[in-house]
Amino acid sequence: MTDRSRVGFTTPASTVAVDPWRVRLFCQATGETDPTAWAPNAVVPPTFLKALESEHFSSAALLKLLDVPLAGVLHAEQAFDIQAPVFVGDQVEIQRRVDRIDDKKDGALTFIAVDTRYRVGERPVASSRQTILVRNQVAST
Amino acid sequence: MSFPERLVLRCGPVNAVDLALFAAASGDHNPLHLDVETARRAGFDRPVVHGMLTMAYAARLFTQEFGAPRVRALQTRFVGIALLDDVIELKANLRHADCDGALYELEAATLMGTPLASGIARIAATA
Repeated sequence: MTDRSRVGFTTPASTVAVDPWRVRLFCQATGETDPTAWAPNAVVPPTFLKALESEHFSSAALLKLLDVPLAGVLHAEQAFDIQAPVFVGDQVEIQRRVDRIDDKKDGALTFIAVDTRYRVGERPVASSRQTILVRNQVAST
Repeated sequence: MSFPERLVLRCGPVNAVDLALFAAASGDHNPLHLDVETARRAGFDRPVVHGMLTMAYAARLFTQEFGAPRVRALQTRFVGIALLDDVIELKANLRHADCDGALYELEAATLMGTPLASGIARIAATA
């Protein structure tokens, strides 16, 4: 069982720089070989936002806060909505919120949904939702 | 504005360097993705490929065709687990297109046929 009192927990907003080296490393790791993908002012790959998120407040840190051991954890769902492009060189303000914690299958599984908002300046540029699956039996062994 | 009916991309085999690089690039250092013993304790033969790496490959399916600025939404549900050394195949089918853009349904699976993820992508007509 996961501590439900953390539903609504919101991280303090912080700003993460879209460093060119970070985008380049991400491209290298994901097999993106087109050098224009990490050039100055390039639009970052869609799922790169998740990498920025872990610089802000990682899912591992969130799970620690919820007292969930990493061992039984799998990523169940991930969604990105992009309202405006994020560019290499941008400063992105990020904030995350634990939206739901639901037990399924008599407590064998717990689903944790976390929403993330991304802003550049005052402008919302994207939002995402991650659903984390905790296999409680694996977690407790 | 034309949208292809079908997009396909093959990635991998995903090797240990790919997983280590992705751990560094993504900030997800869970040893499930890097360490055989940890993977075994969690019930897997080999280290588990990050779901977000599969999703990044899925994003490439669209960025290579349309460019990153036109990808406006990407959603995936992870339905299976890819392991170290697996080849991952991404496929997308056009579901709807109009003057604003297109909606694709996407599937990821290992070359052996294990389903990994399904989802949708929304592509804008213009950047």
